[in-house]
Amino acid sequence: MSRPTVTIIGKDGAPSGASHLMPTVFTSPIRPDIVQQVHTGMAKNKRQPYAVSEKAGHQTSAESWGTGRAVARIPRVSGGGTHRAGQAAFGNMCRSGRMFAPTKIWRKWHIKINQGQKRFATASALAASAVTPLLLARGHQISSVPEVPLVIDSSIFEGAAAAKTAAAFKILTSVGAGADVLKAKKSKKLRAGKGKMRGRRHTQRRGPLVIYDSAVDGKELVKGFRNMPGCETCDVYALNLLQLAPGGHLGRFIVWTSAAFKALDNIYGTTTKPSELKKDFLLPSNLVSNADLTRLINSSEIQSVLRAPKGGAVTKRAHVQKKNPLRNKQVMLRLNPYHATFVKEKLGEQKAPEGKPPATAALFKEVVNQD
Amino acid sequence: MATVSNQISSDLIWEIVRNNNAYVVSRRTGGGVRFSRDPLNLKNLHTRKYAGFVNEKALGVAAAENGGVKILSKKTSSSQKPASNVTSTTYHGGKSAPQAVANQTAKNSYRPDLREVAVQRVSAIRRSQRPVKPEPEQKLRGNKAKKAAAASEES
Repeated sequence: MSRPTVTIIGKDGAPSGASHLMPTVFTSPIRPDIVQQVHTGMAKNKRQPYAVSEKAGHQTSAESWGTGRAVARIPRVSGGGTHRAGQAAFGNMCRSGRMFAPTKIWRKWHIKINQGQKRFATASALAASAVTPLLLARGHQISSVPEVPLVIDSSIFEGAAAAKTAAAFKILTSVGAGADVLKAKKSKKLRAGKGKMRGRRHTQRRGPLVIYDSAVDGKELVKGFRNMPGCETCDVYALNLLQLAPGGHLGRFIVWTSAAFKALDNIYGTTTKPSELKKDFLLPSNLVSNADLTRLINSSEIQSVLRAPKGGAVTKRAHVQKKNPLRNKQVMLRLNPYHATFVKEKLGEQKAPEGKPPATAALFKEVVNQD
Repeated sequence: MATVSNQISSDLIWEIVRNNNAYVVSRRTGGGVRFSRDPLNLKNLHTRKYAGFVNEKALGVAAAENGGVKILSKKTSSSQKPASNVTSTTYHGGKSAPQAVANQTAKNSYRPDLREVAVQRVSAIRRSQRPVKPEPEQKLRGNKAKKAAAASEES
């Protein structure tokens, strides 16, 4: 299948006329499992060690009283004169005792992730960023975006044109990405829980990620976008999975500069041509060449080898639920064809003849009473 | 398919988003029912059939201003172009809206499986737009009726 092309958007959101072939990285397999696993590992690599004090809960000379004093054998604070004397100490169940399994700074804070997995996850996240339903599923406001992936001509960023936030926002609005920024801006809320007092006071949605090529676009646009709520920037040569798939969820809304978009084929190569910048890296290939199940089932190749369905137009079904003939008329008719006449003549509603029944014939009695 | 590659089918997308997505509303009540806020979802249910943003062809029905009904439908040709992907038609009043929706879904063989639900939703919206009848005054019965009659005679 030939790869589709992507329109490059020029000034004021109008197509610039130029287009670019979709880089091969966008055909990488989309694997949420790998992305999630790599994301979990990478998210842990920025942690700072913390621990309770080594001495906490042990700054007393408590000793157990032993048995025979009708109290538990837990160490007790020695001496007298204060209420503290005689109180239990050290144990995690004690007031002012140490915690259970005190945290240590030598916990395994960081996770090593294989480079191949990291590259796979990045390629997968990039591929997912070109799938509209996944962008919608992440909650991005893209209803006015002309095309996914969204590529803006690098000439628009030339000469530090996006160095000011107002100018940068104008560019995003012109390509229909303004709604996503506004959504992020409106979403700023006070965090629930203790995170508020630990430097994580607010929560906020993520907006668009602007990917640029620092060699062509320069670095001024970073300053323009950095104060825009939810908006992030990233150099195409240093893509970060934490930005491409925040929370491990695929489908980040990415705004590409045309230089960055063109650099992708150079950076990632193809499934057969190794990458020029990453040593020994080939893009992961898909296991199946067509993942559309409906298309496969309806293909002439499959349909031509299927045998015709068994049975006629009307086939008796086996193991069906038994129907009550007294309630179901059709079942009753099947069992008792006379039922139709019976109902039509209203035989069931006829009254019994009035008066006494006729006397039994003498001959009948005689026959019946014979020994 | 007009997507990036034929690797990405609606089935795959559904498997990725079915556990959680921006539209889904999960509640513990009602047996853990899962609803969807997707505007292209005819029953507002989080299911494969009605997940409009996943399927290539989908319909949405919403109330429009002054008694109209707005029908949204997805174009298959421009799945990579969100701005022009969804077309919207508005029907104003009249009895034609359900018939038009039925034609749009089934006669064009767009999504025949959605016809019944789409017509139901249009009808429900039309019903909700009818002016509310004032409740008739309650007839008095028993002692209250006698008292009222006596009061009217006196005056």
